[in-house]
Order: sequence, then C-alpha cells, then structure tokens
Amino acid sequence: MHIMKTVWLITLVALVQGYAIAAPLPVKQVAAGIYVHQGVHEDFDEDYHGDIANIGFIVGKEAVAVIDTGGYIMVGTALREAIRAVTDLPIRYVINTHVHPDHIFGNAAFSADKPIYVGHYKLAATMQQRAESYLRNLQAQLGKEAEGSTILPPTLLVEDVTTLDLGGRKLELQAWPTAHTNNDLSIRDTATDTLWLSDLLFIERTPSIDGDIKGWLKVIEELRKADAKLTIPGHGQVTLNKNVALDNQRRYLQTLLDDVRASIKKGESMSDTMNSAAQSENKSWILFDSINRRNVNIIYPQLEWE
Amino acid sequence: MKSHRRIQFAVLTLITMMWMPMHAWAEAEDKWDVLKEAFFAGKTVENAPELIRLEAPRRAESGAQVPLSFSIEQALTADHYFKNVYVLVGVNPVPLVGIFHFTPASGKAAISTRIRLERDSYIHVVAEDNHGKLYMNAVPVRAAGGCGGTVEGDEQAIRAEAGKMKLSVNAPVRPGEINQGKLLIKHPMYTGLQRDLVSQGFRPAFFANKAIVKLHGETVLAADLAIGMSEDPNIQFSFIADTPGEMEVEVQDNEGGVFKKSIQVNG
Repeated sequence: MHIMKTVWLITLVALVQGYAIAAPLPVKQVAAGIYVHQGVHEDFDEDYHGDIANIGFIVGKEAVAVIDTGGYIMVGTALREAIRAVTDLPIRYVINTHVHPDHIFGNAAFSADKPIYVGHYKLAATMQQRAESYLRNLQAQLGKEAEGSTILPPTLLVEDVTTLDLGGRKLELQAWPTAHTNNDLSIRDTATDTLWLSDLLFIERTPSIDGDIKGWLKVIEELRKADAKLTIPGHGQVTLNKNVALDNQRRYLQTLLDDVRASIKKGESMSDTMNSAAQSENKSWILFDSINRRNVNIIYPQLEWE
Repeated sequence: MKSHRRIQFAVLTLITMMWMPMHAWAEAEDKWDVLKEAFFAGKTVENAPELIRLEAPRRAESGAQVPLSFSIEQALTADHYFKNVYVLVGVNPVPLVGIFHFTPASGKAAISTRIRLERDSYIHVVAEDNHGKLYMNAVPVRAAGGCGGTVEGDEQAIRAEAGKMKLSVNAPVRPGEINQGKLLIKHPMYTGLQRDLVSQGFRPAFFANKAIVKLHGETVLAADLAIGMSEDPNIQFSFIADTPGEMEVEVQDNEGGVFKKSIQVNG
C-alpha cells in the first residue's frame, strides 16, 4: 500500500512540474518593449535543468524579435507563451547570440512562426559541428525532456553590422572577433539605448571561456567605449552600470591570464594550476570552482606556446 | 516474506532510479575484458594498484585535454625494467592512446601527459617488464567529447607549425639522480573524426606517432603515440644524467614527417 502511495505522489509531482513548464516563462519588462527572462545559476555538469541563460524578446510596431531561446524546447515554448501574453504581432526574427546550448536549444519552439533565424557568420558552421555532442549531452542531462530540442542554424548571417527593422524600432546587430566564443553577437536597441551583450558579459556567474581569452579582453575594451543606458548580460542581473560590470569581468580574465602565464613560467603543472590560478577572484563569482578549473584546462595548453 | 521484501526493494530501487537525473547513473565503463582480449589475449595480467600509481581527475574539465600521470614504483635496473607501458581508454574510437618504452637510463618509468576521452571511461595502464610479466591499474574519469568536435584554423598554417618542439629539463640537473624533462610537440593530432569548420568534411587523421628522447645517444624514452593523445602533445619524463651531454629528440608523424631538436644538459 505504502509503495502505491509513493508512486502516485511521484506521478502527481511530475504532472504538476510538466504543467508548470508549459506556462508562460516569467519575463520582466526592463525598458519599453524589451522583455528579459533571467536564468538561474546552475552548472552544466551538476543538476542542469536547461534554464540558466538570460533570454527574451523585443517588440516593435510591426513585429517581434526573439533573442535566444533557452536550453531546451520547453523553455522556448514557454518564452513563446510569454510573448503571446504581451502581443499578437508576428515573430519575425529569432536571434541567437552565440552557439552555446543554454541559448539555442529552444529554437524549434518558433518553427511554426516561420521566423528568420539570425546569427554571427560563423554560427551556422559551429552549430553543425557541435550538433552531435550537444544533443548527446542534452540527452544525458535532461533525459526525456530533451526530446524535440533540435539545432536550427541561422539563415541570416551577420558579417559585421546588420540592422533589423521591427517597425519604428531598429536593432543593430554586431558580430565580434573571437572572444567568449568564435561567434558572439551583440544587439543594440536604438530606441531605448539598450545593449544586449549576452555572454560577452557575465554578471555574478563566473565567465566561461570557449573562444580566446586575449581576444575577449580586447573586445571588452571596445565594449567599454559603447554608449548604453541599460545593459543585458547573458547571465546575471540587467545593469545600468555597464562599465562596472565589464571591469569586474576584465579583472577576472586578466588575473586568470596572468596567473596561468606565471604558472607555466614556473613549471607548475596544469592540474596544480587549476587549483591555484585566479583564486583571489574565488569569492567574487558564483560556480567559481568548476568554471575556473575548466577555463584553466582550456587556456593552459594554448598559453604554453607563447 | 523474504521474496515480498525483495520485490518491495526492487520497486523502490526502480522508483529511485527513475527519480534520479540521467547523469547520476551514467557511470564510467570499465571495458577491461575487451581490452584484455584485444591487447593481451592468453596472458596473465596482475592487478597492481600498489606498483602502478595513477593520477587523473575524477571529473575532467575538458575531454580534449585530460591530465594523466602514471608512475611505476620500482627502481629500473639493467636486470629489471619496464619495456612497455600501455595507456588504454576503452570507450575511445581508438582505445590505444600510446605505448611508452623505458630503459634503465630512464631512472623511473613515469610519465605526465594529456589525453583525450570521448566519454566517461576508465583509463587502464598496463606495464610489461623486460621478462614479459604484465601488471595493471585503472582509474575512472568522467569526461566528454575529446575525440570529435570542432577543428578551426587555417590548415596550411597548422601544417607549417606541426613538428615545432619545446624541450627543457628541470634545473639544476642532479648528477646520478632522477631528473625531470619536458617535451612539448606542436601537432594538431587530428583524430580523423573531427569536421572542418569550413568544408564540413572530416579532416583526415594527422598525428605524431613516435617520439624518442636520447641522452648521450642512449634512449631514455621512446613512445608510440596515437590519436588519443591531446593536441600539441605534452610529455614529461624522467632521466638519469651522469655527465653533461646532448639531449636529442626525434618526433615522427603518420605522414612521414621527421622533426628533431636538441639541447645541452649539464650533468
């Protein structure tokens, strides 16, 4: 009898959870017509539930642009519900800020709207290359929930700067040289002077490197010069103080770069360096231990050849 | 009563398993039976966790660059030394990562390097002494995606760089004692399973397959390498230096490339 009760309880909880996911994604209007959903800070390796990135949408007079779609199909579906709770205008563009799975795996939720998928000119190729391993990882992380999450590459590629018109509202999309990844795209909304930096800027969560740490530091210098009233990071809270956040990120990356270079010079092994590098930054960031170690693992072998 | 309880336990286990996230029960595969049959069929391999010391992360941060150290805790002498040490990863498309050959001049049969893991796996290290006796130890590592994935960069530039080396020894060199050397080889180590970013086709396998380190013309390390070694192989090794002399390295790749480098070692 006891067992049956347990089974029922579990089924019930699962049903309620399933229902909750299909409801509109919680979003906040951070500037006129700009809606952001803030993801939670979870690691990819430990207890990942597919909703860690900041995603959202911008509403013009004639159309809507989606900016990133979340870590699996249900997050995309819930984002679409959130859009429909705000407006009935057509969803004309789905913009992916870069290739990472927490930003792109909800793309398929918008297929029926027949939008133009937009990304950095290197995004389509990088997506295709990583498709197999990304899908395999998602399956391992989410199990059955991963079903229906597919890789949908962009058809409109941004080489340098491209402007999209939502009707009385222009979005300036800029493709960057290799920084966080080799396919980072930023979006500026000229109407509200909002800069959507996505993972070019991490707030709270430890910045993760999948591109080029030196390239990223250069891009940060460029981003510091940009004007913006409001800045939207890929992780963490929306901010009015762009350069304070960029300076925090620059401090971490520069410390990491300096420490790893010093370790290599002293002949310290990569494993030891994973424990020692950038430890002065440990208390300033969330998920520091796992992400910082991964960063060392990626940059140490590259910096050995400097 | 007993069988009733067993069923109860089975049901509870099943529920617990369903309730746990997928990755919690995706454990590293051992595959030792397969490896044993493929590489040491008909031979006795002794389990030797005390003799073979292994160091690897429980969870690798990157499947493409997994740090691995092995050290065989026995002095090498003219009468007894380890001629072959096999590094094997059962789940990799090519399980044999490399075979490291030692001599009495190696001082110690110990290597630190970086290898690729396609997914969660045990790393098996098998040491064969000069009498043909085999010893084994293994360590489980969680990792993903080390053998496939993206290859970027200009093919011609990468090929032009291939074979460059950095060779160094820990200073000061202590005469008659065991010293440490470090060899870095610039080589893409294409697995043949990676797609080209532009053409989307597979880049053919292209990898360093041999490295030989000599001191005074005597071999201190010889290694047969395969695609399970990480890009830009990094090999730290031991040697005994009695008198000052030249340390020479020769590296070969699967396309017939031969690369050489030498440094002066004070002994």
